[in-house]
Parts: sequence; structure tokens; C-alpha cells
Amino acid sequence: MRRLAAMGVAAALLTVYQAPALAYLKLGTRVGTRTVSLKWSQMPVRYFITDRGTTGVTSTQLQQAVQAAFSTWDAVTTAQISSQFAGFTLAGPTSGDGATVIGFQNRPDLDRTLGATSFMIDTVTGAIVESDIFFNTAFSWSVSAQGGETGVFDLQSIALHEIGHLHGLAHSAMGETELRAGGRRVIAAEAVMFPVAFASGSILGRTLKADDIAGIGDIYSSASFSRDTGSISGKVTKSGKGVLGAHVVAFDMRTHTLVGGFSLSDDGSFVIAGLTPGPHAVRVEPLDDGDIESFFDATLNVDVNFRPQFSDKIVVVPKGGGTSGVELKVVAK
Amino acid sequence: MSVAAKSIFLRGCGVAIVVLIAWCVAPRSASAQTYFGQDLPHRGSLELGGGVTWSPGYDLGSAQAEETRNPGSGTGPFVLFQTDFRTESAIGLQGRLGVYLAQTVSIEGGVLYSRPDLSARLTGDAESAPDLTASEKLTRLVADGSVLFHLIGVSFGGGRGVPFVSAGGGYLRDLHEKNEVAETGHEFHFGGGLHYWIGQGKHRAGVRTDFSLSRRSGGADAVDTTRTIPTIAGSFAYLF
Repeated sequence: MRRLAAMGVAAALLTVYQAPALAYLKLGTRVGTRTVSLKWSQMPVRYFITDRGTTGVTSTQLQQAVQAAFSTWDAVTTAQISSQFAGFTLAGPTSGDGATVIGFQNRPDLDRTLGATSFMIDTVTGAIVESDIFFNTAFSWSVSAQGGETGVFDLQSIALHEIGHLHGLAHSAMGETELRAGGRRVIAAEAVMFPVAFASGSILGRTLKADDIAGIGDIYSSASFSRDTGSISGKVTKSGKGVLGAHVVAFDMRTHTLVGGFSLSDDGSFVIAGLTPGPHAVRVEPLDDGDIESFFDATLNVDVNFRPQFSDKIVVVPKGGGTSGVELKVVAK
Repeated sequence: MSVAAKSIFLRGCGVAIVVLIAWCVAPRSASAQTYFGQDLPHRGSLELGGGVTWSPGYDLGSAQAEETRNPGSGTGPFVLFQTDFRTESAIGLQGRLGVYLAQTVSIEGGVLYSRPDLSARLTGDAESAPDLTASEKLTRLVADGSVLFHLIGVSFGGGRGVPFVSAGGGYLRDLHEKNEVAETGHEFHFGGGLHYWIGQGKHRAGVRTDFSLSRRSGGADAVDTTRTIPTIAGSFAYLF
């Protein structure tokens, strides 16, 4: 779900996957006593487009924008994903009909939500059976190639974000926000999956970033992902105890790309996978650039009371392997 | 200075230093008394050596961890923090074995071992993380081969001091801390130095200094493409 100012994963059946070995936040769900990553078990993902446009955007333009967004994800070489447009439908983007439908929906009650993704899953395997995306016609939309139109949001950018959810990605914390009257405003972001959208008129959200690519590769690993990327793992601790929900960022000193992950267990363990091999600077910060509910289940005791800091070690990521034992000892604010 | 020496002088800074040393060290009165006896290294002579090396630190460039700025929230990319990447100076050990093809030409192979620190100065954090220098220790091995031209025409000290120029190439292997990751590369070098032999027998010991410029690609500190690294070495040598 992408909100104008803040967004969260709305589907009630979902909780944030908390098992280790994550490069990224992935959506997950409980299957019995296990938590499993939410993902499609079969490719291509076949989707329908609701044959209904909105002001300024025809259903054909909607289909083209959605297809462009799917193609952007499909082009990630470290992930084995593909998609297929199955046709137009009169059905709306609502769950429970067995078909993946993407379309417009008028939801004036969701006054800060640009779009949202919902799922139906196999409760035995955790596989996604159906996923629907709606774009809220309470807002104005554009499919302009150049962007720049005041007051209208770029459909392809928001579709790219929502399709990331459709594939099983949760939100990235790779961005900075400031609190203003009416909610959070994004200052900068380096992930399509950051929960807060860029300003209206911007088409900057049409391009995947390293953080997005690492995340999708982590879920649908191709041979290239296993062979050509590596991981960093370790623990974030404060006064000897694990920190839950710390945002750990790896900066590749050769490619100058940023990929983030989270400490996702009570002992502060984190894993960032999908990294390009080579030396990385590692930085840890509290999750203070978004509503915590945008990332984690509200019942989790996420610790945001610590200062950002760097690791005193350069961490070298091996090709096709991992560097473990990275210790990040943070101090309270 | 001979014509040959002048020509060599023009080839480069490293060679120029070597020739200059030879020129200054050589007693002027002895310049006409160079020893050219049959105990000079000859075809088939072997030279075994080992000693210490030193390479200065060198910058590997600066980079910014940038995020894409939301239009209307400022200009230019948002800088999360800044990095200044560097390889620190290092003392190393080297061993060499050479064989003379002629009095003036030898080939040799060698191995250089050093433990330089790779460092990154992390500054200017957007959320005030304290500035810090992150580092890791590399284990660096360079296996190389060289051709040496011994300038007996400008030898001094009764033939004991013999300058040389050299050039060659090698294989670079950097092991990161914990030796978990190896990164390899190549290097080409040129330079020169000086042998100073003690004694004049067929078997003789001596000391040797080297100065070289190594043009490297690959390895742990390959941030962009290639870089040039000077190295100074001092070693003992044994000729037999």
C-alpha cells in the first residue's frame, strides 16, 4: 500500500517475516508454527486489468503503465520472475475471485493512500494464490512520459511500488523523511519500496534501486544471485542486548550503492543479502524515517532509542558467499 | 655520465634517481678504476636475495552515499554520508631468485608479502553519526618476474657498486581480513636500483636497493581502474 505521506502493508493476514537471512523486508505469514516468506510458486504472474479508466488515464494507458512496471521487475537478472498480461476484465481489484486484478478504485476514505496491494494465500504452503492492486481515484493520475504535472501522481511509479508488494516485498527504510503538519514528507529515498511516495509530478520512482534489486533477488533467487552476489550478517546490540528493528545499511565503496536490511530478532541478528562483492561501509540507524507500522507488526517491540553509527570495520562481501560476525554496538540517545 | 646513462636518465623518475645515486656515490677518483674481472656475474650466475619493502599510502578516491532527492526538497542528491577510501602505507618482506643471462642482463622472480590497512574515513553523516575511520587489514602477495639490465658501464667502487634498471609484471593476490575473500589482479612495474657487492669472488654477498613504480589493476583496492604505487626495497643478496 502506498500512501501519499505514509503507507503500510494493510492486508490483515500478513505479518512481517521475521526469520533471519533477510536482505530486505519481505512479506511473510504464519503457516502452522512456521513463518514463511510470501511468494509466487509459479511464473509467470498472470494479471488482469480492470477495463475502467479514470480522469486523464484510460484503461489501455493503465495497462501500459502496469506492464511497464512489471517489465522493470522482470528485467532484474538476479531474480527469476516473469509476468503476463491476461487481458481486460470487468471485475474490480478485489480479493477472493482467484484472479489477480489491477485497477482503479475510488477510496476517498483512504485519504493518504495512493494504492494498495492485497493477497490471498495458500495457508498450507504460504504461496500467493491471488494478489490485487488498486490505485485510489481520490487522487489524480498521470501516465505522462516526462512527468512534471502538478497535482497528479505518476501511475507507473506507484505501480512499480505496488508490484514490489505483489511479488512479496515489504517496505524499505532506505530514505529520509521529515514530519510536517498532515504527516511525513519524504526528503530523499533510494528505494522504490520506500513507504512514502515522491511528490506529485515526479517520475523518479520508475527506476529500481540497488535496495529493491537485492530484495527481489532474495525472494526469487536466480543462479546469478547465488553466484554473483554476497551477504553480510551480524548483530546489533545495545548494552549487551540485541536490538530489534535496527536499520542496517551497507554502502558499496566501488559501485556507491546502498542496500539495507533490518535486525529481525531479539538477539539483534541481521543479514543483508544481494550485495555486490567488494568492500562495504556499514551503518546502523534507528527506524525513525517512517511509521514503524509501515515496516513491522505493531506488536513488535522495535527499539528506536539509539544513535546512528558506523561500523569500525570495512566489511568485504565475497562473491557467492557471506561475511558473518559483523558487530554493531550502539548506544542510547 | 655515459651516453647510456644519459639515455636511461631520460626514461623516468625512478631510473633517474638510481642513476643519480650512482653518480653521487661513485668516488670520482675511482671512476676510471672499474673492476671488470672474470668474477663479475656471468651467464648462469644465480642471485638469491631477501629484504624489506615499503610502499606509501595512497588515496583511492572519495564517494558519497547518496539518495535520490524528492523534487521540491532541495537541490542535488541527498548525501547520507561521505567516504574517503585509502590504502595505508605498509612494510613488507620480499624474496627473489635471479639468473644472469649475460653480464649485463638477468631475469628474476620474486614474491612480496605485506599487510596494508584498507581504510575508509566516514564523515558528514546526515543524521550525525560520529565521524569514524573504518578499516581492515589485507594480506597482500605479489608474485612477479622482472628483467634487469646491469649498468656495468657506470659501476663504481672497483666494480662493487652496479646500478641496474628493471621492468616486469606480476600477479597480485589480496586476502581480506580473516582470509575469507581473495581478490586478484595484475601489475606491471619498472624502476631501478643498485647492487653493492662485498668481495669479488664468484660467491659473494651484497646489498641491494630497489625503487619501482607498479601500475596495478584489480586487487582489493581497485576502486576504479588502475593506480600507480611506488615501492622502495632494501635487501641482502647472495651471488653464486
